[in-house]
Amino acid sequence: MKKGEKLVIVGCSGSGGPAAMLSRKLMPEIDITVIRKEKFFIAR
Amino acid sequence: MAGLAASNSIVVPDKMLEGAGINVVQDEVTKVDAANKSVVVSGGEEFKYDKLILATGASSFIPPIEGKDLEGVMTLRGLDDAEKIKSYIADKNPKNIILIGAGFISMEIASLLAEHMPDKFNITVIELMDRPLPLMLDKDMSDSVRQYLEEKGLTILTGEKVEKLIGQDGKVTGVTLASGKKLDAEMVFMNVGVRPNIDLATDIGLDMARFGIKVNPFQETSDPDIMAVGDCVEKINFITQKPTPGQLRGPALLQGRIAAKRLAGYDIEFPGVMDAGGCKMFDMTITATGLTEETAAKEGFETVCAVVDSRSKHAMIPGVKPWKLKLVFDKKTQKLIGGQIVSHAIAPAREIDAVTAFILGGATIPRLTTFTSASNPDIAPEPSAEPITVAAEQALMKLRKS
Repeated sequence: MKKGEKLVIVGCSGSGGPAAMLSRKLMPEIDITVIRKEKFFIAR
Repeated sequence: MAGLAASNSIVVPDKMLEGAGINVVQDEVTKVDAANKSVVVSGGEEFKYDKLILATGASSFIPPIEGKDLEGVMTLRGLDDAEKIKSYIADKNPKNIILIGAGFISMEIASLLAEHMPDKFNITVIELMDRPLPLMLDKDMSDSVRQYLEEKGLTILTGEKVEKLIGQDGKVTGVTLASGKKLDAEMVFMNVGVRPNIDLATDIGLDMARFGIKVNPFQETSDPDIMAVGDCVEKINFITQKPTPGQLRGPALLQGRIAAKRLAGYDIEFPGVMDAGGCKMFDMTITATGLTEETAAKEGFETVCAVVDSRSKHAMIPGVKPWKLKLVFDKKTQKLIGGQIVSHAIAPAREIDAVTAFILGGATIPRLTTFTSASNPDIAPEPSAEPITVAAEQALMKLRKS
């Protein structure tokens, strides 16, 4: 993805969270939004 | 559930994501407009995307049996469920608890309840197959687990099918089995698997597979701008190369990271799942990876197997605990295709990761007879008792005889 492009991640626990965090590390200049319906991100 | 960690300590704080510059929205996505590349949430807000990742997970599967909606019938999937269970126990003080399905979630719940509140409950686990942990362990390994748990006070009924849940005034009071038996229960856990959350993907019109959203090894769906990861997608078994649900946290996490790498320009493929997993019950730790002997046979493998008893330390060291390992080999190629560990200490159970690595590397029986582990009297068995090497040698002898 290129600078300024938008990444949206729907849902987030075991896979969405890691996808978001690594995307941020690898692509610091993209726009990332995570949308989840749950109150929390569960780690386990 | 164990009470070993506070609820908020297993939650990834939003601050961690927001601190990394990630926009976090708590809302339900109601529509994905793939043509216009936008997502709409229940509050009406619209989010445009260049790339979309679906990580919608899975939900507990509740079989359509009579009585499933009675009060006191529960599942365990997430934090909310765990808190509901603890609160129900505190409020209703159930005496008889039944767990349907003897997979690792059921067995861990049963053990935790018995361990942390001893003598408070009559706990019965009901399993359709002939043993507890039937997807992780063959019967020769599972028998010792069953004996251990029964000695700890659990009742384990195998080869029994639950016909219906019975209740009174809207509350569960028991279970009727197909064999005609009736068991009292004021609380029933249904842990018989999960199903992928695929409503959004279906609405979009993505290609679907038997066990979830269809993706390629880079986590790309049939829409070039949509990826899917985790429990909502179908996986491929590394050994059989056949489709499988593979709904465990390890593969989910890996797939999330593979999707991120793909978007960043890397070409790293998801290798497939081996269903590597573990569970702990009282002071017994059980781990498994790859195919069991039974599953391998169903998949058409002719196998050669070996079971080795070992110990957590050198025999003369105080505190030594027993553990045992089973390895499953494909007789035709002599390759390792599965492993199971039942251990009375935690550390040896992690040797399953070495088994996984050997499977990934295509290790064969002859090769594994030359394996040497890191050995120290206080942390490992004597090198002569290293169970992977001994199991490989046993398999080698079996091949010679056959």
